[in-house]
Amino acid sequence: MMPAEGSISSLVAGLWLLNIVLDTGGQLAFKAAAGDEAAGDGLARWKHMASRPWLWLGIASYVIEFLVWIAFLSLIPLSEGVLLGSINIVAIMVAGRFLFGEKLTRLRVTGILLVTLGVVIVGVGG
Amino acid sequence: MKRFYLFGFLLLMGFDTLAQISFKYAGTQALPVAASLEWVLRVFGQPWVYGAVIGYIGAFFTWMALLKHAPIGPAFAASHLEVVSVMLLSVWLFDEHLNAARVLGAIAIIAGIVCLGMAESREHVPEPAEA
Repeated sequence: MMPAEGSISSLVAGLWLLNIVLDTGGQLAFKAAAGDEAAGDGLARWKHMASRPWLWLGIASYVIEFLVWIAFLSLIPLSEGVLLGSINIVAIMVAGRFLFGEKLTRLRVTGILLVTLGVVIVGVGG
Repeated sequence: MKRFYLFGFLLLMGFDTLAQISFKYAGTQALPVAASLEWVLRVFGQPWVYGAVIGYIGAFFTWMALLKHAPIGPAFAASHLEVVSVMLLSVWLFDEHLNAARVLGAIAIIAGIVCLGMAESREHVPEPAEA
């Protein structure tokens, strides 16, 4: 059964949350893989990254996210799905702030709040 | 050079849009959703999922090429503004209706993305030449 338009079933909500976790986790894993100072250059850098878990964790997250996103979009209208998915932008910036100490300027906070507000409006009102 | 950026941004949006439209078609054809191998096989057993793969790969390489030359702020915004094209296309392709919540939500999200793009631009301004 397709959930009625506008109603967000628990399956859809669960897939949405899983998508946020996988997308943010994947990006952070790639960041950890690429930002390793000890990695060196060129081929040596790739060998170093391939011998450690971060790169593979990132790839695995993205492969699972690919499937989760397909499942998510098959249950709700696409126009609603892409808007709800915009929350990933916010999740990554907030995670970057806490894990890598990236700066949140006033303009950035405004952007984060506006995107969040938009996602809330769509989530509540369909 | 401006025309080169504009073409790059549009190409990036095009690939992202192709990916999302393909995801929707792929998912719809693989219904019902189940955490099972059968569902995964249904997803990969029809052509649309490969449209999504092409869209992702195309977007990745366009993004990498853009980052080498284009200012990061507009590139960031362009990489997320496919919500607009995807919304408009879903009305046409999937007979979806844009209710007030979706339109209002989209306006807030787009305004937010523009702010974030401007924030990126500000942080990456070229160093002023010494007087």
